[in-house]
Amino acid sequence: MTKLLKAEVIKLRTTRTFIALAGVAVGLGLLLTALTAILGENSKEDVLAAVFANDTSSFFILVLAVVGISGEWRHRTITSSLLAAPDRLRFLAAKTVAFSVVGVVLSLAISLSVAALGFAILEVRDLPTPDSADLIELYGRSAVLAALLGAFGVGIGAIVRSQVVAVVGILAVTFILEPVLLTVIPEVGRFGPLAALPTTATGLDPEAMGLEEAGLLHPTTATLLLLAWIGAAFAAGAALLRGRDVES
Amino acid sequence: MSRRAPRLSLADMPAIEINDLSRSFGSVHAVRDLSFTVSAGRVTGFLGPNGAGKSTTLRMLLGLVHPDAGVGTFDGRRYEELERPSTHVGAVLEEASFHPGRSGRNHLRVLAAAGGHPDGRVDEVLELVELNGAADRRVKGYSMGMRQRLAIAAALLGEPAVLILDEPANGLDPPGIRWVRDLLRAEAARGRAVLVSSHLLSEVALSVDDVVVIAKGALRANGTLDEVLGGTDGSVTRVRSGERERLAGLLQEAGTIPTDEGADALVVQGISPEDVGALAARHGIALRELAPLSRSLEDAFLELTAEAA
Repeated sequence: MTKLLKAEVIKLRTTRTFIALAGVAVGLGLLLTALTAILGENSKEDVLAAVFANDTSSFFILVLAVVGISGEWRHRTITSSLLAAPDRLRFLAAKTVAFSVVGVVLSLAISLSVAALGFAILEVRDLPTPDSADLIELYGRSAVLAALLGAFGVGIGAIVRSQVVAVVGILAVTFILEPVLLTVIPEVGRFGPLAALPTTATGLDPEAMGLEEAGLLHPTTATLLLLAWIGAAFAAGAALLRGRDVES
Repeated sequence: MSRRAPRLSLADMPAIEINDLSRSFGSVHAVRDLSFTVSAGRVTGFLGPNGAGKSTTLRMLLGLVHPDAGVGTFDGRRYEELERPSTHVGAVLEEASFHPGRSGRNHLRVLAAAGGHPDGRVDEVLELVELNGAADRRVKGYSMGMRQRLAIAAALLGEPAVLILDEPANGLDPPGIRWVRDLLRAEAARGRAVLVSSHLLSEVALSVDDVVVIAKGALRANGTLDEVLGGTDGSVTRVRSGERERLAGLLQEAGTIPTDEGADALVVQGISPEDVGALAARHGIALRELAPLSRSLEDAFLELTAEAA
């Protein structure tokens, strides 16, 4: 398993897609933090959510994971991958763990960058900064969330082999379907795996996030439900992968 | 560069054994009850026209396509059952399997990591396939020949006892084809079992020891190159005699099939020149000509596959 994990991490590091998307994730986090820190005048109570909750790693690792596994079919590298790892369940498990680990690393990189920039700007402006304990808890939850969505993305990519369909699908669900559901039928929308549950799992105050009307779940419940989604996606993806022929 | 001897098969066990392998896609029988073996230290040509079922057979052997029935094994174990499969089997399949944005070296690093091979082995195989100079270029800039060399490098990473190559000469220029041919011979000489599929018969004739011919998914011939060139039922002999009709009768009684070729000549399938000579001598028949006839592999192939058409 360690060998396969190492191979998956090398795969990730040696393509431009990963480097580009990771760069965009860090850049976007810094930009949002700079804007909110420079333009806002937040109190001690809401500065955490307003300025320091700009870790976009969970979304980007989700996209990267979907691209990573569906790319195996697109570029037909699935053949050499399965020749190296003929146990398809182990192959999928290694990919899942790899994207979870990389998700944590990406999340921590963004969190540290965002925190450093946010503190610097707020100190210069002589505005209140959040408690370190709250910040560490937020970034810990963000790292866990990135790990979970990395794993979820692998499951989705294993189910939907077409890279375009998979990526467009998760974008549509994340930015259109789930927000609409959360607004129109919140009792259903709050169980959504790509918007509601990830937002809840960060543990931020729903009111500060503008979601007080949605009746969001407790962060721990949301995390457990997200795990259930991941388990279901992994099981479905594994069943499909094991049954598929890898033809030329 | 160090190259260890590959792990050899047990003496009484073929390196590859395919037993009653079958697979259908809808109403199309891609492979039907196919059985044959491949021995260590020999190059076995796996021949058939396009669509004969060669690639499907190889992919079933490698666990990529699920068979409806039958099994393919390496030293008695299915591919999925091999521990560190790259140390047992190296495969070059027809379809290129590279991420275009990854360099050749990084492609090999991924496979080396998955197989538990040291990074130094990557440099060794790159040197072996003469790709060192282009190793850090992205694969999308590689020519067909360079991609084929990279695929062969990947197959050799684990110094496997078995090499499987699906149409390795496709898209190669003449020097590239010669390079592949020399590589196959060299690897067999090192004790590896080499199974190479092709529809380029002239190419295969120069590099194989044994031949397996399939058409429409079914086995048509299996044996050494000489056996298959000799005919579907053995040797072919041309003989001339003033007592052609008497000789033809004796040959028929011996269970062979003589064909009248005119000018006192007969062509006889299923008997060697030595046996024809002995038969004629026993019956006091004088011969004017006695010679083995070798069909080209092309002729044998066309004859064998035409029977299935």
